[in-house]
Amino acid sequence: MAHPLQLGFQDAMSPIMEELLHFHDHTLMIVFMISAMVLYIIMLMMTTKLTYTNTMNAQEVEMIWTILPAIVLITIALPSLRVLYLMDEINNPHLTIKAIGHQWYWTYEYTDYDNLEFDSYMIPTQDLPNGYFRLLEVDHRMMMPMESPIRMLISAEDVLHSWAVPSLGVKTDAVPGRLNQTTFIVTRPGVFYGQCSEICGANHSFMPIVVESLPLQHFENWSTMSS
Amino acid sequence: GSEQAFKLLGILDVQNIPCARESILYGSLGSLVVGLGHFLATSRVRRSFDFGMGGFVLTTLGCWIYCRYNHAKLRIQQRIIQEGMRNKILYESSDFDPERKQNSNRGSN
Repeated sequence: MAHPLQLGFQDAMSPIMEELLHFHDHTLMIVFMISAMVLYIIMLMMTTKLTYTNTMNAQEVEMIWTILPAIVLITIALPSLRVLYLMDEINNPHLTIKAIGHQWYWTYEYTDYDNLEFDSYMIPTQDLPNGYFRLLEVDHRMMMPMESPIRMLISAEDVLHSWAVPSLGVKTDAVPGRLNQTTFIVTRPGVFYGQCSEICGANHSFMPIVVESLPLQHFENWSTMSS
Repeated sequence: GSEQAFKLLGILDVQNIPCARESILYGSLGSLVVGLGHFLATSRVRRSFDFGMGGFVLTTLGCWIYCRYNHAKLRIQQRIIQEGMRNKILYESSDFDPERKQNSNRGSN
């Protein structure tokens, strides 16, 4: 989950998020170089004794500062497109879970084998046990098996919502009357937090998402007990 | 990594991003070598600083790209090994076990 004063991404829990982190590192280094260069040029401009201000014929430098940025953009675009297409790969999901957004809670449906359906409300702060995360915990977590490709079908019952879990690299809008699909694989067991990411009314900040990934055996036990 | 990461220019976390620290250090070294070398050769101060800056950018980017490329290849190898280890345990002594097919081929000869 996020920690206070956090500036960077949360740790990656799915392969796509790992790829996104690496792409971000790559782009950030390029941005850092450009910033350093600009700072240096500003410093040069402030300390020069040259004062010639007429327009000059500057064919060569114009060529350089057109070609170089084009190269930089290509260096950023190629890995970006690679990750983009990686996100769209077909991966034969083992399980389909539906997440329906309401004002102001989520409903999760597991209808592949049994008819398992439950609501997930935020635990209000006054009912929160000690040591739990304020405004992030829910009464029923969304359980899923780890290391299995999962298909999520996301929709809404009333207004726009958005199902987002940053550590999995997932953010998908929940649109009423529409099914949006996303797929992911969770590589490790754990508990991952997210929050509704589309303004949906008074309690938009108070409908979090908690995903808990378990080994398959434990997930099947939970599924049998719950349905 | 540590909680309070050290961020160059406020954005680049050199402690936790793989290859970042080495790239910046090699870049600084490259900048010093190129800038100082140019100054010793020509005694032009401003131009030497420009060369130093250019050397910094080129050395850092070069080191970064080389290191990240190798890091990516390593990660792919790690994933293949992990998958292989998982499959070995899963398929041992079953029909899918590649070692079993090899042994039976040797036996038949």
